Amino acid sequence: MKRKTSLIAKQLSAQRKRLVFLAVISLALGAAIVSQAALLAEAVQRLFVESASFSSVAMLLGILLCVMAVRTLLSYGNGKVGLHMAAAAKTNMRAAVLQNMTHASMPSALCGQTGGKVSIALDAVDEADGYFSQYMPRMAEAAVIPIMILAVTFVQHANSALIMLFTAPFIPLFMILAGLKTKNKAEEKYAQLADFSGTFLDSLQGLVTLKLFGRARRQQQEIERSSLGYRDATMAILRIAFTNTFMLESIVMLSIGIVALELAIQLLVFKSMTFHTAFLVLLLVPEFYSLLKNSGTAFHSGRTSMGAIRKVENMLAETIGAAQPDEFMASQTKLLPMPPSIELDNVTFRYAPDSFELKAGRISVKPGEHIAIVGASGSGKTTLLHLIAGLLKPASGTIRVNGTPLSQQYESLWFERVSYITQHPYIFAGTFAENIAIGARRNVTRAEIEQAAEEAGLAEVAAQLEQGFDTYVGEGGRGLSGGEKQRLALARAFLKRPAVILFDEPTVGLDLHTERVLQRAIAALAKTATMITVAHRLYTIRHADNIWFMEHGALAASGRHDELMESLPQYAEMVDVQRKGGLA
Amino acid sequence: MSELVILSKAMIRERKDIVLSIIGGFIAGIAGVALFSASGYLISQTVFAPPLYTLIVLASLVKLLGLLRAASRYGERLFSHRATFSMLSRLRTSFFAKLIPLTPGIWNKNRSGDLLARIVGDVEGLQHYFLRVAYPPVIVVMVFLATMLFTAFFSFWIACIFVLGMLGTAWVVPGIVMLGQRKKHERIREQRALLSTDVTEMLYGFRDLKVYGQLAERERQLQQASAALAAEQQRAAGHLLRGQSMHAFVTLLVSWGVLALGAYLIMDGALAGVFLAMLVMASLTVFEEAAAMATLPAYKQDSEHAAKRLTETVLATPAQSLHSSCKLWADQAVSIELSGVTFQYEGEWRPALNDISLQISSGSKTAIVGPSGSGKSTLIELLLKLRTPSAGDVRLNGISAKELDETGIWETANVVLQQSHFFRGTIRDNLLLNGEEYADGKLVDVLSKVQLPTKSLTDAVYEKGENLSDGEKQRLALARAMLRKGRLWLLDEPTSSLDCVTEQRVLKQLYEQAAGDTLLLICHRLAGLEEMDRIVVMEQGRVVETGSYSELMEQKGYFYKMKQIELQMIGEASA
Repeated sequence: MKRKTSLIAKQLSAQRKRLVFLAVISLALGAAIVSQAALLAEAVQRLFVESASFSSVAMLLGILLCVMAVRTLLSYGNGKVGLHMAAAAKTNMRAAVLQNMTHASMPSALCGQTGGKVSIALDAVDEADGYFSQYMPRMAEAAVIPIMILAVTFVQHANSALIMLFTAPFIPLFMILAGLKTKNKAEEKYAQLADFSGTFLDSLQGLVTLKLFGRARRQQQEIERSSLGYRDATMAILRIAFTNTFMLESIVMLSIGIVALELAIQLLVFKSMTFHTAFLVLLLVPEFYSLLKNSGTAFHSGRTSMGAIRKVENMLAETIGAAQPDEFMASQTKLLPMPPSIELDNVTFRYAPDSFELKAGRISVKPGEHIAIVGASGSGKTTLLHLIAGLLKPASGTIRVNGTPLSQQYESLWFERVSYITQHPYIFAGTFAENIAIGARRNVTRAEIEQAAEEAGLAEVAAQLEQGFDTYVGEGGRGLSGGEKQRLALARAFLKRPAVILFDEPTVGLDLHTERVLQRAIAALAKTATMITVAHRLYTIRHADNIWFMEHGALAASGRHDELMESLPQYAEMVDVQRKGGLA
Repeated sequence: MSELVILSKAMIRERKDIVLSIIGGFIAGIAGVALFSASGYLISQTVFAPPLYTLIVLASLVKLLGLLRAASRYGERLFSHRATFSMLSRLRTSFFAKLIPLTPGIWNKNRSGDLLARIVGDVEGLQHYFLRVAYPPVIVVMVFLATMLFTAFFSFWIACIFVLGMLGTAWVVPGIVMLGQRKKHERIREQRALLSTDVTEMLYGFRDLKVYGQLAERERQLQQASAALAAEQQRAAGHLLRGQSMHAFVTLLVSWGVLALGAYLIMDGALAGVFLAMLVMASLTVFEEAAAMATLPAYKQDSEHAAKRLTETVLATPAQSLHSSCKLWADQAVSIELSGVTFQYEGEWRPALNDISLQISSGSKTAIVGPSGSGKSTLIELLLKLRTPSAGDVRLNGISAKELDETGIWETANVVLQQSHFFRGTIRDNLLLNGEEYADGKLVDVLSKVQLPTKSLTDAVYEKGENLSDGEKQRLALARAMLRKGRLWLLDEPTSSLDCVTEQRVLKQLYEQAAGDTLLLICHRLAGLEEMDRIVVMEQGRVVETGSYSELMEQKGYFYKMKQIELQMIGEASA
C-alpha cells in the first residue's frame, strides 16, 4: 500500500511475538462473533418458528451469554496487546531520540530549534501511539474476521456472500478517495488555513504593541474575521469528506437492504432456505460492514501516526553518525602531563555546505600558555574555541593534546580537565549549591562548594538570601543578573581546578563588581592551566602570551600585542576604533 | 462546572446550527434502528408467507430508511462542525477581549513564553466540548427514548430493559470511567511537563553539561522519566479501554436480555414471536449511537481542564486599571517623577526595582545605563503603566499614574521596546499600526531617516517579522515611533543591533524630531552620551549615580569605571 518507514519496521520486528498474539486473538474473536450470531439465530428460530419451550432454550441462552463475555474479553485483549505494543514502541523511539540528542555533536545541539526538537521527543512520539494501539489491532481484526464471516456466509447462503463480496471493495475505495480528495483540498487551502490559524497567536504575542498603539480592539475584529474565514475554509474541506462518507454509508445501507431483500425473496418465493439461515446472515452482514468501516477509520489515524513517526525518523537520520558512546577508557597517561600542550594541524570546519569555512592552519599552544583569540564578529573565534574544546568535530585535520589526537575515546578524560566558561553560562533548575557542584564530577563537600563560591565572589549574594546556597534558582537562572550567572560559572571552574581553560569573554552588560572578580579569578585559575580566551578586553590581550588574529574564518596572524600593533594594520585599527569611542 | 460558562454562552449563540445538527443526529439514529428492526421483521414475516406486496413495501422502506439515515448523518456532521468552528471563533474573540486589559501583567507569573501557545492550544481544545461532550448524550437519550416508546408498544418489560441499557451506557459506565481518571490524567500531565522541561533544559544547557561530563547522567534521568511517562499513559489508556469493553459488554447484555425476556414472554403468550427478531435487531443497533459515550469521559476531562486553565489565567490576574479618569495631555512635554518606587516580579526572590526616586523634568533628555538585569526595562514598563509598582508612586506631569488613564499615556508616548512585535503584512501595515493615515511620501521619508531607504512600503513582513534582521526590526520600530505625535519618548535599547555609524545617524534624526520633548533612552553603549542632559546609572534595581556626562566623568565613580572598561573592549562591541 505504501512504503513502511524503516523505523516502524524496526519497532514491529521487535514485537513479533505480540503481532502473532494479535492474529491469534483476532481469529478467536472472529469465531466468537460468528458463534454469537449463530446462537442468536438459533435461539430465535427455536422460540419463534419451532415454538420450543423455555427450558429448551435456557441452555442455549447460557452459552450465548458466555460467548458474549468471551467476545468482550477477546476484544479487550486485542486492545491490551495494542497498548503494550504502543508503550514499548514509544519508550524505544523516545530512547533513541534522547540518546541521539545527548550524543549529538555541537552543531545539531546549537543550531537552535529547541522547541522543534522537544516537540519531536514528546508530541511526535506520543502521536505515534495510534499506529500501535489502534491501527495494528484494528488491521489484524480487519484482515481476519471479515474473511471468516464471508466464509461462513458462503457456506450458509452463497448469494448473500456474493453481494457482500461485490460491495465490500467500495468501502476501502471510498475511504481512500475521501482521504485523497480532502488531502488535495487541504493542500490547496493550506496557506489560507495557516494564515487564519496564525492570526490568534500573532495577535496575542503582539498584544503589548497593539495596546501601545491603541489597536487592540480593532484587532479583535480581525481575529473574528480570520476565525470565520478559517471556519469556511475548513468547512469546504470537510464537506468533501462528509460527501464521501455519505456515499459510503449509502452503499453500506443499500447493501444491507439488498441482502435483506434477497433473503426475503429466497424465503418467500423460492422457499429454499430456513429462517435460521436467513436470520444468521442478517446478523452477520452489519458486523461485516462495521468491521470494514472501523478499519477505514483506523487507517486514517494510522496515517497520522505514520507522519509523526516519519518526523522522528528524519530527526534520527539527520544527526546519524554523531552517536557513538565512549568505547573504552584509554590509559590516563596519554593525556598527561597537565597542563597540556595543544596542536592544531590544518583543521577545517563548516556548519553547512554553503556556509563559510573555518581554516585554522597549523598552530600550537605550549603547556601553560595563555592565548587570546581576537577578530571581528563572525570571523570564527567561537567556532575555533568549540573545535579546540572538542565540542565540534573538525571536517578535516586533527587536534592533538600532548601529541595524542583528541578523539572520541578520550572525550570523557579530556572533559575532566577542561573548564569552558561561556558568555551565557546555563543555569539549571536547582539550588545555588547544586549548580556549582555541576563543575566537579566527584562528590564534593559543602565546604568545597562554599569555598569555590567565595573565590568567585558569589558568597555575598548567597549571604543576602534567606536560604543561602540552598536558594532555588529556576531554569535558565531566572532572577539572576548576567554578572551573577558569570560568577556562578567561575565558581564551577574553581571547584574543578581545570588544567585547560577555554573562556569566551563576555562583551557587555556586566556590573563593575563582576568585572573585578572576573579579572582576579581568571588570573588565579590560569596560573596552573593552559588557557585560550576569545578576548574582548585590551587587558586580556595585553597579558596574553600569544594572540591569534582571525579574519574571515582564517588565522591571519599571530604574535604579541606590540608586535601585531606594528605589523598588522587591521589589528591596530580594530584596537583603536573602540578606544576613540566609536565615531562620537 | 462554572468554568464552562464562556462555552455555554458561545453555544447559545449557535443554537440554530446546534438544533439542526441534533435533529439530523436524531433522524439518523432513528432511521438506523428502524432499518434494522424492519429487516428483522421482514424476515420474520416471510415465515407466514404473506402476500408479495407487503414484502415489497417493507423492502423499499428498508432502502428508503438507509438513504434517509445516510443523508441526515451528512446534515448532522455539516451543522455540528459549522457550529463548532463558529464557537471557536467566538471563544477566540471573547478570550482576546479578556486578555487585553491583563497584558502584560499576566506574564509576571509565567515568563517562560509558552503560556501564549498554551492559551491558543486550550482555546482550540475547547472546540471538542460541543462535538464530543455536550452533544452526544442529547442524541443518545433522544434515540433511546424513541426506541423505548416503540418497543413499549410490543412489551412494557422489554422497554424496561432498554431503559436499563440506556442508564448503563450513558451514565453508569462513563461514570465508572471518570472515577480515578482525573488522577491518572493529572499524573500524565505532570510527567509530561517534567519530561518536557528536562529535555528543554538539556538542550539549552547542552554545552555546559557536555563539558562538565553530566550528559550521561542526564540521559539516564531522561530515559527514566520517558519510561515512566509511557507507563502512566499505558495505565490511563488501559483504564479507558476497560471502560470501552464494559460499554460493549453492556450493549451485548441488553440484546441478550431482550432475547431472554422475549423468550419468557413468548412462552407466556405476552409477546408475539414474530416481533422477537425485530426487537433483537433494534437492541443491537440502538447502541451504535451510544458508542460516542465511551470516549466522552476523556474529552470531557480535557475540555474541562482547558477551560479551567483558561479561567484561572484570566481570573488570577487582576485587571490593572479600574478608576482612572485623568487624561495625560499630549500637547505638552511630560515631566516624570518617581518616589520610592519598588517593583518585584511574582516568584522572584528580590525586587527588580528597589526604592527608586527620580525626577525628570519636562523637555529633558535622560539616558539610563547599567548592567543587564539592573531594572532599566522594568522602569519603562512602570512609566507606561504596563505594570503597577509594588510600592511607591509614579507621577507624570504631577499626576499619579494610578489616576491616569492608561490609553492616554500610550497616546502621549512614542515607545520602542526591547522586543518590538511585527505583524504579518507589509511594511506599510506595520508602520501605520496606530491607524492614522499618512501619505506614502511621508512614510518613505521616515524610512530613509532611520537608514532603511532600500525597503519598499509593499515589502512583505512575515509573522513576528521573521524575515527582518534584528537591525532592521529596530529601525522599523523607530520609524513607527517617529510617525507618532507624542511628546514623551521611551526608548529601550533601540539601536543595540546597529553598527556605530548607523546608530549615530539614526539617533541624530531622532534627536532632531524630539527637540523640546521629554526623552528617556536606555542604552547599552556608553558612547555618544555627551549630548544627554542627564545620565542615570542603575545597578541591581537601584540608582547608583546621576549627573551629566562631564560631571560623572569627573566624579570618577561607577559610570567612569564602566566607561574605562568599555574603552578596553575590542572586537564584538564595535560590530
